[in-house]
Amino acid sequence: MDTSDTPVVFMQNIVKRFGTVTALDGVDFTVHPREVAALVGDNGAGKSTLIKILTGVHTPTGGQIYFEGSPVQIRSPQDARALGIETVYQDLALVDLMSITRNFFLGRELVGGIGLIRFLKLRRMDEQTRTSLSDIGIEVRAPTEKVEKLSGGERQSIAIGRALHFGAKLLILDEPTSALSVGETRKVLNYTLNAKERGLSVIFITHNIHHVYMVADRYTIIRHGKLVGNYLKSELTETDIADLITGVRES
Amino acid sequence: MEISAPVRRTTSWSLPLRRALADSPILGPLLTLIVIFVLCSTFVPNFLTLRSISGIISAATLTGTMAIGVTLLMIGGEFDLSVGALVAVAGYLYAFNTVDGGSPGIGLILAIGIPAALGALNGLILIVTRIPSFIITLGTRSIYRGLLWVLSTGALVQTLEDLPIYQLFNGRLEVLNQFAEGANFRTAILWLLGLVIVFQWILVRTDFGGHVFAVGGNPGAAKAQGVNVKLVKLMTFAIGGALAGFSGVLLFSQFKSVRVTTGAGMELSAIAAAVVGGTLLSGGSGSIWGSLIGVLLISTLRTGVVLLDLPFIPADNFEAVVGATIVGATILNKWLRSRG
Repeated sequence: MDTSDTPVVFMQNIVKRFGTVTALDGVDFTVHPREVAALVGDNGAGKSTLIKILTGVHTPTGGQIYFEGSPVQIRSPQDARALGIETVYQDLALVDLMSITRNFFLGRELVGGIGLIRFLKLRRMDEQTRTSLSDIGIEVRAPTEKVEKLSGGERQSIAIGRALHFGAKLLILDEPTSALSVGETRKVLNYTLNAKERGLSVIFITHNIHHVYMVADRYTIIRHGKLVGNYLKSELTETDIADLITGVRES
Repeated sequence: MEISAPVRRTTSWSLPLRRALADSPILGPLLTLIVIFVLCSTFVPNFLTLRSISGIISAATLTGTMAIGVTLLMIGGEFDLSVGALVAVAGYLYAFNTVDGGSPGIGLILAIGIPAALGALNGLILIVTRIPSFIITLGTRSIYRGLLWVLSTGALVQTLEDLPIYQLFNGRLEVLNQFAEGANFRTAILWLLGLVIVFQWILVRTDFGGHVFAVGGNPGAAKAQGVNVKLVKLMTFAIGGALAGFSGVLLFSQFKSVRVTTGAGMELSAIAAAVVGGTLLSGGSGSIWGSLIGVLLISTLRTGVVLLDLPFIPADNFEAVVGATIVGATILNKWLRSRG
């Protein structure tokens, strides 16, 4: 971890209101290069809202986002992606009824064409999917297999592999382990560390303290739409984190 | 003493077959069509003749053309119940511009363009209001027909002329008809086949096609990957409208008459054909080939039932047979899908 560098992301004083409901009330959030930043909080604390602002799904009511030091406006998922922000959503990661390859290249298909007729380079997409996943230690039986036949961990790993393949600078994992078995959780945590070793920054969103404690370098804890605090890993024990999330202890 | 239970092995031939059945969305419907066709050929008198077979295929062209668009919409997770009304809209536009002089070219453009725009309007209402398309188009199907009633003053339009453009779209296909007396193959078969090939290709070989599957299968995931969900949906509605319009062109070219009620209920037949052909009502899965098979299956049953002339299922009660087929085929498709 290198805190002297410019943060990859600095979200400053973010406010988000939905009608009369204030989901986020002036939250700051920083992610440094080559670190796993954990964003933790109870259900409904505002984690998802904060991340959806960073990924262009929601527009903030107030506040400013800096990406690699420059102020940016992120108005759509495409904007976020153009900056190098890739997100693996818990439930929105993959389309079950489509093949691994089709999911891998969804929205970024390899298209060839003669004149006005444009078509998919299916074979090349299959090859790239297989080699790219294989490079990071994920072996798929067949890239043409439908995603619905895969386990939860395999799905997460494919979504992570996809983000790495498309040159993400910042990888956002939204509750990546919440529905997984112990063995699969371990794999996903390994991919997370793997991504960090490859030079990426990772935002790891969860309410599972145990999982986040194994991989995170830094914690940002939010509660009821407000920032509780920023902590380095060495500053807190697992119990401390739990107390801060639930509000048993104030920062 | 311990005796391990014998490992139950799947015989070598059945596993690939089961895999294929589960992986290919059209193999199930195709087998059903073949079984029904063989049953009809065996038990129905006069069924296995070029005359009745040509009748089965020709009768499938109008619903078949519409079913292509309906299938695309359903894969994308939407319904358009107004396509039956759009057939009548197209029929009038085409008729007004071809009967008693006029410009067939303009007629053709209007008959495809206006239904496409009205289809897109359905999509636009969906995007703006987020009301389910089933409800929106349940409304617009009556509105479109109502507007047509006002504009046409409810008059039947018909002609006895035989213009070249009618021949082009739904003339008799003498190349095939010469082989048997009473055979009634029509040029519309070629148009349908061409459209099926083109749209199946678009569906599986283009990025747009993939996006249709994605927005129907998991719109949130599609959006998160940067797919323009709204635009894709709008496109499927426009295409659905255009194909309904073309279906109206084929219809008028064949029957040379159109009235306000023309095409009523066709949308349900097209949806039925898509479902029988393996397209999921919930979106995200299906094929144009499957819907072609579905249309042919329903058409085969219709002919079979009519020729059988059973006392309790006269030709007029044929809908009951279609209903049973839909339920049966859906159960079969679901069962096939769950295997492999």
